[in-house]
Amino acid sequence: MISLEKESKTISPSADDADSSPARVAVSLPDEPLIKIRAHRKWAAANLLDLWIHRELLYFLIWRELKARYKQTILGISWVILQPLLMTIVFTVVLGKLVGVRTGVTPYPLFLYAGLLPWIFFSNAVSSGSQSLVAGSQMITKVYFPRIIIPAAAVGVRLSDFLVASVVLIALMKYYGIHLGWPLLLAPLLVIHVTLLALALSAWLSALNVRYRDTGTALPVVLQLWMFASPIVYSTDLVPARWQWLYELNPLTGIVAGFRSALLGLPFNRSSLLSSVVVTLALLVASTFVFGRMEDEFADIV
Amino acid sequence: MKPIVSVRNVSKSYHVGRPLGMRPSLREALASFVTRRNGHSSEETLWALRDVSFDAEPGEVIGIIGRNGAGKSTLLRILARITKPSSGEVDIYGRLGTLLEIGTGFHPDLTGRENIFLNGTILGMKVREIRRKFDEIVAFSEVERFLETPVKHYSSGMYLRLAFSIAAHFEPDVLLLDEVIAVGDISFQKKCFDKMQAVSREGKTIFLVSHNLTSIQSLCSRVLLVRSGQLCEGDNPREVIASYVNDQLPAASGLKKIIN
Repeated sequence: MISLEKESKTISPSADDADSSPARVAVSLPDEPLIKIRAHRKWAAANLLDLWIHRELLYFLIWRELKARYKQTILGISWVILQPLLMTIVFTVVLGKLVGVRTGVTPYPLFLYAGLLPWIFFSNAVSSGSQSLVAGSQMITKVYFPRIIIPAAAVGVRLSDFLVASVVLIALMKYYGIHLGWPLLLAPLLVIHVTLLALALSAWLSALNVRYRDTGTALPVVLQLWMFASPIVYSTDLVPARWQWLYELNPLTGIVAGFRSALLGLPFNRSSLLSSVVVTLALLVASTFVFGRMEDEFADIV
Repeated sequence: MKPIVSVRNVSKSYHVGRPLGMRPSLREALASFVTRRNGHSSEETLWALRDVSFDAEPGEVIGIIGRNGAGKSTLLRILARITKPSSGEVDIYGRLGTLLEIGTGFHPDLTGRENIFLNGTILGMKVREIRRKFDEIVAFSEVERFLETPVKHYSSGMYLRLAFSIAAHFEPDVLLLDEVIAVGDISFQKKCFDKMQAVSREGKTIFLVSHNLTSIQSLCSRVLLVRSGQLCEGDNPREVIASYVNDQLPAASGLKKIIN
């Protein structure tokens, strides 16, 4: 016993038997296999818990993108702020001054920025997310980890962009003298909401894109249409009452309008928020099944 | 002894002609959907692996040999969970490490230090573990002076040493290697060999796919020959290698003499 204890100090903790000199060491194996490899199943869902279990990998994949992105740029991280800022200026001039869009009590530039911020996050996340598996084919064919981490990392990169660009929003709100009230506490929930929606679509579209590269080509057009089908540059009042139900099926309607209400202290539209939550959850569940069904063959067809 | 890896009746088939998912566009997918509905299918099934079964015990170093396209890599990819078998089962009673490529996920613009953490987590290590072994990894790779240099400025040898070093310190119970050590210079190969032998003495199991029969012969306690998707195994490594050489080069008696 004493000698064993002595030995175990010098030997790495994983080697449990130090006495046996022959080539084979007695290794205690678990009763149940740690890894079970089975043939492809048709109904398998990707497990979102993997994102938590492998959070370190998720973190490092996000970190890699962010770190590498600014290595050879002049403006660096300010691009993240410039994109919504420039779009705000363009829309303020074209729609605010020339067309004369009215947004009630809220100054139009602030209204725009508060809507463009979640929109840009969402649309960037979905477009880079949908390309992520094909872009990561090198990794997919060489090493195993739950594939859902790849589109999730793409969404995570854009989420951090979003958080940086939010600083400007707070500055804008100060500038326009907006009172920061308790509804602001709802904003983080809406950020989680839009992140889940972006994750669902990224997972779905990235899996589809592995098989049909048409996905990547069609997506920019769809996103362009989607932007104008959401209350980004105009307010929800502009949509006729009899079409509101259809408009609210667009999950971004509830999210963007809700985000704005939380920040600017405007009244909430409960029905659009509710339908948005329902649609998002449905998409999330469906996407895990689509992803789970297709992920087994990524390495074979990517 | 109880096996650490148990492979039972594993097969893998691919569809040639109009492979599932290999359709480049939606239009062709629709077209193939229509033809399939009509009962005409131009698909031909190719068996990359057919009914492969074997067990591996802790401490074994198993060489996998066979000609190009015989199914070696498919077998390794199934064990690595990169692709799923079409039928059959594999159970692995331990942690799995894969090194099918040197430096998977390395980013050229990131420094050596940054890539150690990145590649380590991709291979399945915990950050805590990487921190603990960081000095060892660096020492083995001999790139101390260049830790803060982006790896794109590394020589290919430095790159290789760093990448192998990370993987070698993962300490999985089962390690899968695909022809990776063949690239380094002689002193590096020697280092890799020693490391692999040390690892197997600890009771870890190593699978090694290689065309280098000399290294297979000197490293492996057992050799599996994959011949058109099926497994042929003899009593000892020397015999299996000889039968493979006989297959390949009926006339090349010179090489046979070297092997024997």
